[in-house]
Amino acid sequence: MRERLRHPFWQGALVLGVAYALFRWGIPYLPPLLGISSAPVPRSVMLQYMLTVLVGILVWVSDNEERWRRFKEPMRALLVQPERRVARGAMLVVLPLLVAFVTYDSLRPKISAPAGLRSVHPANPTSITVRGEAMILEGLENPLRTAGREEEAVELGFDLYYQNCMPCHGDYLDGQGHFAHGFNPLPLPLRGGGTIAQLTESYVFWRIAKGGPGLPREGQPWNSAMPAWDEILTPEEIWAVTLFLYEQAGLSPRTWEEH
Amino acid sequence: MAAVSNPVPRSLGRVLGLVAFGVLVLALRPPPAAGQTTQLDRGREVYDRWCASCHGFEGDGLGPAAAWMLPRPRDFTRGLYQIRTTAGGAIPTDDDIMRVINEGMPGTTMPGWEGQLGRGDREAVLAYLKSFYPPFETLAAPEPLDFGRTPRASPERIEEGREFYQSIECWQCHGDEGRGDGPSAPELEDDWGYPIRALDLTENWRFNGGETVEDIYRRLRTGLDGTPMPAFQDLVDAGFMTDDQLWNLAHFVRSLAPEQRPRVREVIRADRREPGELPASVDAEDWSEVEAFWFPLVGQIIVPPRWFEPAVHGVWVQALHDGQEIAFRISWSDRSQSPDPRWMEWQERFLEVMEPREAGEVEPEARPDQFVLQFPPTIPEGMDRPYFLMGRGGDPVYQWRWRSDQDGAEPANAHGIDDIRPLDGRIEADARWEEGRWRLLLRRSLEPTGTGDRLHFETGVSIPIAFFAWDGDHGEDGARGAISSWYYVHLLEEPPPSVYVSPLVAFVLTGGLGLFVISRAQRRERRPSEAGEGHELAGSADTDDRPRTTDGTDASMGPEADLGRP
Repeated sequence: MRERLRHPFWQGALVLGVAYALFRWGIPYLPPLLGISSAPVPRSVMLQYMLTVLVGILVWVSDNEERWRRFKEPMRALLVQPERRVARGAMLVVLPLLVAFVTYDSLRPKISAPAGLRSVHPANPTSITVRGEAMILEGLENPLRTAGREEEAVELGFDLYYQNCMPCHGDYLDGQGHFAHGFNPLPLPLRGGGTIAQLTESYVFWRIAKGGPGLPREGQPWNSAMPAWDEILTPEEIWAVTLFLYEQAGLSPRTWEEH
Repeated sequence: MAAVSNPVPRSLGRVLGLVAFGVLVLALRPPPAAGQTTQLDRGREVYDRWCASCHGFEGDGLGPAAAWMLPRPRDFTRGLYQIRTTAGGAIPTDDDIMRVINEGMPGTTMPGWEGQLGRGDREAVLAYLKSFYPPFETLAAPEPLDFGRTPRASPERIEEGREFYQSIECWQCHGDEGRGDGPSAPELEDDWGYPIRALDLTENWRFNGGETVEDIYRRLRTGLDGTPMPAFQDLVDAGFMTDDQLWNLAHFVRSLAPEQRPRVREVIRADRREPGELPASVDAEDWSEVEAFWFPLVGQIIVPPRWFEPAVHGVWVQALHDGQEIAFRISWSDRSQSPDPRWMEWQERFLEVMEPREAGEVEPEARPDQFVLQFPPTIPEGMDRPYFLMGRGGDPVYQWRWRSDQDGAEPANAHGIDDIRPLDGRIEADARWEEGRWRLLLRRSLEPTGTGDRLHFETGVSIPIAFFAWDGDHGEDGARGAISSWYYVHLLEEPPPSVYVSPLVAFVLTGGLGLFVISRAQRRERRPSEAGEGHELAGSADTDDRPRTTDGTDASMGPEADLGRP
């Protein structure tokens, strides 16, 4: 065992094995132990890492004439030594089988859904028509916020949200309502910094009023189940829900002054 | 500089005095009462924000959203709790209530709050909702029952459980195969007078109190207070049944549901059969070998009239093709073969409490069950699909529409949920309702069959597919039903010969290369050894008595490479 550990070939093999284990299992599973989130390394990146390690090992062993000779020894022994002929035979069968399998695996027909990218927050139109009335979105404020009727509006928004929006967007506004699993893409969460906190209230009003059917071309290819709420709620009710969303999620809308 | 001339110290002194007084007051308040009040205040704050929308600000289960739900949210003022570890009729332990707060009630609108609210908030809510039922304070702390150890599942136990299920007549409500379709099922109501469904035991991921065999056993022992489900604890105590029999029953009930909760996969694989070998009937033996894919269905709450409590919660879909035709077999739980007069009264009661908001009155009626399989009119490029909810004007979807009161299925183009335009063409259908379950076979040639029908099923591509289901006895029809969004079906193509030829070539080439490398290495090895210049190879382990060279290589080796032949 000791002998082997000093042998450059087995040292190289050991480094390769340890590196593989580290990339394959270390990267995804060690950081979470320290409370840092992580994810498995994709296959292509894995291949790149392993090639880098392999090249490193080869540079190291070929750096020294004597080490290079010793490094080649076990391989040469496998090729020529009579007492290695079982291993030799096995290698001659296993290696081509492995190559054949990899070839088959890359050629066999696979089933997968077409991939698609979509813009979650596509640019809004300059104006929309809600119940026959044109509204210019640029600079538009929540009238209920400016009219000083916030408290009353939040109460109305509370009722409307839980009657209409909760089945998909969830009791906790986390996008995990009891119908959420039936839709693809999943309903958006409304809490957290990446959601309505990045948007103006007029944008939120537009998304609620026009829903999935009102998404512009760049928001597609879409499959959104979000209804066009202007068919069900009045503009004032939509503003009330908007106000409520920010209040309940503890977020502030982006304001026009920021631009 | 003199302090006297400065007015600030006087007001500062007043402020300090007030603070000192405040500290004194806080210090003098009796600590436990203070703790309780703040706990209840905190509980009320959290409850009013996150719970009252359904459970009501007074804890009576009549929050502003309650009327959209069935089962209705829990009314905390009566102290009746379904999920307990205590005897039937007893109040639950704090841990029992906390479990429901943490994990929610699967199969209902109640979510779990463990990852959402902090522990302190959840404990405060627990204290607050107990305050809606004053006896919690006066009654002795409830003792959880001892549930013992779980006996291992075995075919014998499950079989005995099945017999027990029959003998104590669980089927009266839950049905012979557990799909909630028993003869008494249409009459059930909860303690508040709302219609309630006997649980479909084949969907254990919708069990209110959890999906494991331990959960099932506990619900059997303690009952589900407020519902018609009795507690069997009393019967065990009275010697009418044994604990072991209840465990057998629990194992049997667990065995009715799949071992693993079904996972949604985006693409249905339609395997390829030899031409002419597609199963012709819905219960052909062949189907048992075909993988089933599960898809969740949810209420149509997108266009008016919306429908918040659909009867069908998911469908199992299998698909096969033979290069000429494609066949789908779809299975879903449905408690009746609608229209069934025994369920008419249920429908009346149900529509009374779950009236769709925008439709005005919906009259109870004898309606059929329906199912729709939906595709785009032609296979789209990439992700560009028509609107999943039955298309839109000018951008339709192509559907196969089946109803339980007609033979066959009809193709149609839908330009919206209320704009269905029938097509000519032939969709074969074979349907069977048995023991609370529909199984439906739909079959069509891969080529379009009529005018207006343009969908050519190609192999080797993913074709969008969606599902819709209606239970007539549940008052469902038109927009009032269960829907899904787009998924895909992929007809496996016959693999090109290269799929098999290439690996073979790779095998031969790699093997040949290996042989070449070995024989070359051995030839080179021999040359120096013939010249008497041995390499320092490790000693040979061979024990035969053939002549050896100094370096231990076999001198009798023939001209061909030594490949392991003896």
